[in-house]
Amino acid sequence: MSRIAVWDLPTRLFHWALVLLIPALWWTGEEHLYDWHFLLGELVLGLILFRLFWGLFGSSTARFAGFVRGPGAILAYLRGSGPAGIGHNPLGALSVLALLFLLANVVGLGLFATDEDGLFPGPLARLVSYDSARILAERHEQLFWILVGFIALHVAAILYYLLARRDDLVTPMVTGRREMPAGGGEMVAAPLWRLLLAAGLAIILTLVLVRFL
Amino acid sequence: MKTPMKQLILAATAVAAILATAALAAPADTIRMRQGNYKQIAAAMKGINEQLKSDAPSLPAIRAGTRTILRFAPQVLRWFPRGTGPEAGVRTRARPEIWSDHAGFRSAGARLLVAARNLDAAARGGDLAAIRAAAPQLSSACRNCHDTYRAPEH
Repeated sequence: MSRIAVWDLPTRLFHWALVLLIPALWWTGEEHLYDWHFLLGELVLGLILFRLFWGLFGSSTARFAGFVRGPGAILAYLRGSGPAGIGHNPLGALSVLALLFLLANVVGLGLFATDEDGLFPGPLARLVSYDSARILAERHEQLFWILVGFIALHVAAILYYLLARRDDLVTPMVTGRREMPAGGGEMVAAPLWRLLLAAGLAIILTLVLVRFL
Repeated sequence: MKTPMKQLILAATAVAAILATAALAAPADTIRMRQGNYKQIAAAMKGINEQLKSDAPSLPAIRAGTRTILRFAPQVLRWFPRGTGPEAGVRTRARPEIWSDHAGFRSAGARLLVAARNLDAAARGGDLAAIRAAAPQLSSACRNCHDTYRAPEH
């Protein structure tokens, strides 16, 4: 056994930032603190866009092409017959995709939503009528609770791995490293310029979406 | 004497009938009417705030919004006859305080009217700085009343 790198720093920061931001967004929405809600929501939009770019050309364990697998690989993993690798397992990959997809849609709906008094129209709400923006605000909230359901499933899965399979997935998401049998391969970290490119693209796209579109 | 008296009775009956119809206007209709009007105010607010957020606000768009709000603002207090609160048996978020604290409600309505007039005047004047200064007063007039006299959404 040896301690090897599995998650790079950007991926871990992305994950833990969302752990803080999602409850903060719920609370600011609930309390109608829309100035903060918008700011934090735009931050999440930037993080999602960053994660999408990082999933295309980031470190090896962050790339969608590296961890998203077909039904065959998922079934093999469930039977316990698949090859052991580092990073997301084939079933966990579905969780990553579902959470990202839901979060992106919650944020996307929020861009077009408005509060019922029309005091805080979202950055793109001017593209739709008041009635549409209100319907989208309702969908924004409903989809958020579906996202919360998937987050609960995600946490339950981690608890299952921890308690039933004695596999701690939380510590590696903090430290980036975990004990693995030697010879299983290691994460290939992306160079700094790729990080800057992904971050730059995410910031530009976010600003275009919320300020200039 | 007979004919004018007859006419008077007829006229009085007609007036009574009209008043009775108004009084009988189902609370549900009144509630629906005011909810529809508030939606138009909110839609106008949305339009104004979208313009104020943009780098190049459109004055005609802002004026269209302030005109709509100024058209409704003087009527708001009349949208709440007795019997159109929670006791109406229709879904309404109008709180009983509207009627139990009527002086407070009236002053909230007066504040809306002043703010609506100020913003409309600023919009007609065309000075963006003045519009930006007047807009938050209208927003806070909305919120001020809603916080006290409107029940939360859920």
